[in-house]
Amino acid sequence: MARRPTVAFGFVGLVLDRPSRDGRSWDRWRPSVSLCQHEDLLIDRFELLYEASIAPLAEQVATDIGLVSPETVVRPTALVIQDPWDFEEVYGILHGFARGYAFSEDEDYLVHITTGTHVQQICFFLLTESRHFPARLIQTAPPRRKRDTEGTWQLIDLDLSRYDAIAMRFAEERHEAHSLLKSGIETRNEGFNRQIEEIERVAIASRDPILLTGPTGAGKSLLARRIYELKQKRRLLQGSFVEVNCATLRGDAAMSALFGHEKGAFTGAVTARKGLLRSADGGLLFLDEIGELGLDEQAMLLRALEEKRFLPVGADVEVMSDFELIGGTNRDLQKAVRAGIFREDLAARIDTWTFVLPSLKERIEDFEPNLDFELEEFARRNGRRVSFNQEARARYLAFATSERALWTANFRDLDASVTRLATLADGGRIRKADVEREIVRLEAAWRAAPSQRDADHELLHALLGTEALDAIDAFDRPQLAHVLRVCRASKSLSEAGRQLFQASRKLKASSNDADRLRKYLQRFELDFHDVKA
Amino acid sequence: MTTNERIHIDGSFGEGGGQILRSALGLAAVTGKSFEIEKIRARRKKPGLLRQHLTAVQAAKAMTNATVHGDELGSKYLVFEPGPPTPGDYHFAVGSAGSATLVFQAILPALLVAGRSRVVFEGGTHNPWAPPFSFIDRAFMPLLRRMGAEIDLRLERHGFYPAGGGRFVCEVGAANPLRGLQLLSRGKVVRRLASAKVAHLDASIAQRELEVVKARLGFERHELEAVAVKDSVGPGNILTIEFEDQDGSVEVFTGFGEVRRSAEDVAKHAIRDARNWLKADVRVGEHLADQLVAPFAMAGSGAYRSTALSRHTLTNITITRLFLDVEITPVSEGQTTTVSFDGAPPIG
Repeated sequence: MARRPTVAFGFVGLVLDRPSRDGRSWDRWRPSVSLCQHEDLLIDRFELLYEASIAPLAEQVATDIGLVSPETVVRPTALVIQDPWDFEEVYGILHGFARGYAFSEDEDYLVHITTGTHVQQICFFLLTESRHFPARLIQTAPPRRKRDTEGTWQLIDLDLSRYDAIAMRFAEERHEAHSLLKSGIETRNEGFNRQIEEIERVAIASRDPILLTGPTGAGKSLLARRIYELKQKRRLLQGSFVEVNCATLRGDAAMSALFGHEKGAFTGAVTARKGLLRSADGGLLFLDEIGELGLDEQAMLLRALEEKRFLPVGADVEVMSDFELIGGTNRDLQKAVRAGIFREDLAARIDTWTFVLPSLKERIEDFEPNLDFELEEFARRNGRRVSFNQEARARYLAFATSERALWTANFRDLDASVTRLATLADGGRIRKADVEREIVRLEAAWRAAPSQRDADHELLHALLGTEALDAIDAFDRPQLAHVLRVCRASKSLSEAGRQLFQASRKLKASSNDADRLRKYLQRFELDFHDVKA
Repeated sequence: MTTNERIHIDGSFGEGGGQILRSALGLAAVTGKSFEIEKIRARRKKPGLLRQHLTAVQAAKAMTNATVHGDELGSKYLVFEPGPPTPGDYHFAVGSAGSATLVFQAILPALLVAGRSRVVFEGGTHNPWAPPFSFIDRAFMPLLRRMGAEIDLRLERHGFYPAGGGRFVCEVGAANPLRGLQLLSRGKVVRRLASAKVAHLDASIAQRELEVVKARLGFERHELEAVAVKDSVGPGNILTIEFEDQDGSVEVFTGFGEVRRSAEDVAKHAIRDARNWLKADVRVGEHLADQLVAPFAMAGSGAYRSTALSRHTLTNITITRLFLDVEITPVSEGQTTTVSFDGAPPIG
């Protein structure tokens, strides 16, 4: 019978293992002795560790174990510990002991953590958890009734997955985390779900930069925000989430926006500016379109990542900021490196964890849950609930998941489509006719110029930033983009107004076009000079 | 003497504990029959084989060169295939919670069949959950010798619970066939002795116990002895009350000192058992009735009258019937039971 011998490691307890003064050692619980008294536990060998100064006690304990458990071979080992409360010393000594011990596959190891100083117990725990002691922990407790001396024992396996209740709790926690990363959308695509699991693991375990790539509209920005929320929920981050699209950072302003400047650093720098990196101190910085950063900014960013410090524009002294970074790009960074427009060292620093988000078409089975999510989002933003009738929903899903639907801007297209459908729906009901019209619109858009929509997005994003842009319905975006382009091409507000309202001018006698345009821009908190700038 | 049939035992029936296993081990060694036992101690708080049971299995295995499967801590299933018991020098040690006398009990039948052996037992000798050495030595052994066995026990060191560390030696001479006895009525009690032993505890404990015996059973001063046990490693206390009849046969009743139990209470426990036995006018007390099942069955003859049979004894009888071709008939009359044995002796 190949029973593996059980080998226990434990410290002689200076207080608990000491026999009572009147020599009646047997009327009370002594953990190291009692460990060997259990009828349902057999310690074949006991590696009894003791501080050299208490050798007589260790000898007594070994003798007593021999009496109550003739099957147990006791091997006392003296350790020279100056201060059993000194963590560094105790850890070092125990670590050395474990490294020098000839552990065998054929023996079953237990580490007895009931005796010794708290520091000794903690070191035992840590070294068992790190598998320096390939053991399970054993904890003993005094008897409930006084007449027994052996008390009770309990095994603690640090592989927590062995405990059903704990494993279940972990599973729930992880499910919660996955769900958070997926914005609560019950996605069905296996590859995507696996990717989310991986991202969760990386987000919890690592502070390294993460690079999110994938086609435009694949959800990089939303995912970055969710990663931040997960880290914050787990108390891994205290600072804020700071997001910027690097495509909007051009020229001198880019340096100052990212790294801040001193008051008077350059003409127009009337006040000091903190900069985005410092705003993200202790938090998470999301640099979308990171491939668009200029080479100077790249160099500075690399230094900030590696040294946690950098020099604001016009400053003499470096400032500190400890932030985590997520980069987003739909560019092939390696190609950009080869083309000489992206630093190789920075690319290497940020692509440790690269996740290529799939396009909507690549995980078309997730279309339906995402559709429901967008409808919910619309309701949340607008305070009114809109739903498809059954026939309309079936028609829309059939088209959306067919080859004809290109979804070139991915979830951004879906967002816009749902916004249009919901906005135009009569009485909160989307009917088949509405869907048919939407299909025509979508097909026209994809046929026309998929890049036009991207260009609109770029333009609006540059002027408004993500948050303001998010607040604008997809319905309004092409119109606003057109207005802005006209403004930029015009010398004055009036000139732009005249061009934009030409048709109505012909019909009506008079009209203040400039005023009308100003009011329109005001709705988006813009004025003509902003647009021209 | 050997057969190939394997006896199947449900370890959870009757008393449902270690006794089933010990009886089976002893009788398997005597008959050469293999057995398998399942659901070992299945209904106990700590089910399966505990260390003391494992020691008993290993002792029986060593004596009979048996093939064993399932002899692991916590195992609920065991197969035991014995060879013939081999005489020799043996040494068995058991931890304190178990008792060396239980290991002795498990291999006694094998020793009687093997003959010419010397066995050292180490562990608990006086343990509240097992027949104490004094009882085995003073009450049981003389009867065994009258049945024909050449056997002697010698206590070398007391071992009280929980420290244990006791030691006794068993020497066996020729393997004589056993003869059944008729132990039906009790002879006149010619000698009485109450002995209070105390190790590493206050001597007044012994005095207080003896006072109670004196008061309740009317023992004279010369029938009381207080013994300070020097050879024990741990503390302990036992009170034994002995009665010897005109034939020289002895019955022993015991009370154990325990933490938080008064000396008076210890004495009262022993006195209650002694009084029941005295009142019933039987030869054999409850515990002796249990010990005698195996040797009487091996003899295939004899009868004894006892107080009502304990669950232990009834279980023991059931197991014995599985191994030996012997009729065991318990007949109850009022408060007493007569157990008679009739069958072919398996040995000699």
